[in-house]
Amino acid sequence: MAESQTRPAGIDGSTLPGPYGVGRYAAGLRDFLRERPRVQLFGEVWNLRLSRAKVYLELRDADGALPCSMWRDDFDALALGESALADGAQVVIAGGLDYYAGSRTSSPSFTFAVSGLRIAGEGDLLAQLDRLRKTLDAEGLFAAQKRLRRPALPRTIGVVTGEGGKARDDVLAGLRRRGWQGRLVWAFAPVQDRHAAPRITAALQDLAATGAVDVIVVARGGGSLADLFCFCDETLCRTVALLGVPVIASVGHHTDRTLIDDVAALSCSTPTHAAESAVPVHCAEARAEAVAVARRLSVHARRALLHRAQALARLSRAPGEHVAVQRRRLHQRMREIRAAGRRRIEHERGRSGRKALVLDRKARASAGDARGATRLSALAMALAAHDPDRTLERGFALVTDRAGEVVTSAQAARRAGDVRLRFGDAAVDATITDADDRA
Amino acid sequence: MTEPEPLPGEPVSYEAATARLEEIIKRLDSGAAGLRETLELCREGRTLVELCAAELEAVGQGLEELRLDDLIARLEAGAGAAGG
Repeated sequence: MAESQTRPAGIDGSTLPGPYGVGRYAAGLRDFLRERPRVQLFGEVWNLRLSRAKVYLELRDADGALPCSMWRDDFDALALGESALADGAQVVIAGGLDYYAGSRTSSPSFTFAVSGLRIAGEGDLLAQLDRLRKTLDAEGLFAAQKRLRRPALPRTIGVVTGEGGKARDDVLAGLRRRGWQGRLVWAFAPVQDRHAAPRITAALQDLAATGAVDVIVVARGGGSLADLFCFCDETLCRTVALLGVPVIASVGHHTDRTLIDDVAALSCSTPTHAAESAVPVHCAEARAEAVAVARRLSVHARRALLHRAQALARLSRAPGEHVAVQRRRLHQRMREIRAAGRRRIEHERGRSGRKALVLDRKARASAGDARGATRLSALAMALAAHDPDRTLERGFALVTDRAGEVVTSAQAARRAGDVRLRFGDAAVDATITDADDRA
Repeated sequence: MTEPEPLPGEPVSYEAATARLEEIIKRLDSGAAGLRETLELCREGRTLVELCAAELEAVGQGLEELRLDDLIARLEAGAGAAGG
């Protein structure tokens, strides 16, 4: 009754039944789906999320995907290892379709209710990714971008990112941090879904084709590897590798690297970091440095000129100083010669005086000899008169004892006993035999 | 990675200019350069400083943001004007 009161009129001209209340229709849909046959499915697990009551995942393969959920108790009962259900793992699931009808305050959701699960092996996608990584590496495509010169101060930077994403603000923040205010070219592209890879590839090619872009940043915020799988696209990665402009990738994923991380010139963990890496120079600091260098160059130039001027001044003074030095030396020599002359004269004068004195004494001595010659002959005559030999010639005899001592008395002769008598012509020995005649 | 020598006529890059400036300052600081060399190095250094300053000036006048389509349109207009 209440429903009929609130039920609006249908669309004019429509032949479809209703309108019905949506809640009842949703409940009907749930019942319909639950009656569908229960089956087993296989595919790869992506975007696994564990909540308190339920476990959510997507089962994917190349043809499509299905959102799945499982009661947490059932999941825990499987006792799978921590990493057994990583993105890309291949599983077989058992269960059936279900539909949560929602309410006025909660959203409806469609799910495949999983009652059983078995891990069947490593995911095909991850295996494919690994094979592609090895192929590109073997072709040398990981090294091509790294050989490109990345300018320290690009004038124009291209950015490939999602138009509404947070990565856009992060790139701007990174450039602000560098103080860079050049030209920024946005090439917006979807960064998650199957359209993303061709659009990103086209954006990169167009940016490079302008010839006006110095470096390109490809940025996307974090996400699961499934979300980022477009950055593993072979065409995209080959395009990046062969691009003539360096590409800095910032397609953050904590555990797995996307292929664009490998082929890019540089891979950064965040868009902010990528923007900073695109401008290695901190512009404000570089400006201050340029001013400092200019100042140092001026100082060097001024100092060099000053030194040369001082050297020239020294050289110009040199001849005068040389003459003055020689003049001083000459005067000194002259003083020394004069002093030496004076000393010599004084010396010679002293020697001459001493010689004169000696000559004078000698002269005086010679004069005294002449005067004494007469007196000397008189003295010689007197001396000859007292010569004992002369007395002996006259008949006297000289008596000596054995020792040659002169015996001058008879008493002495007796005491001596044997004596020698020396006459004028010769000497004879004699012996004293008599006693004292006075007795 | 060593910087390749710029070809004659090719503009010197900012990083090549700063690297050469470092060499010049090092040589001048060593005191080994004579007057003529010092003056030549100072002259070369001033030219390079001016080049660096111009490069810094070019990315210091305010951020210019444009979309890829705008850039392409502008380049095409420029090419058209130059061609016509």
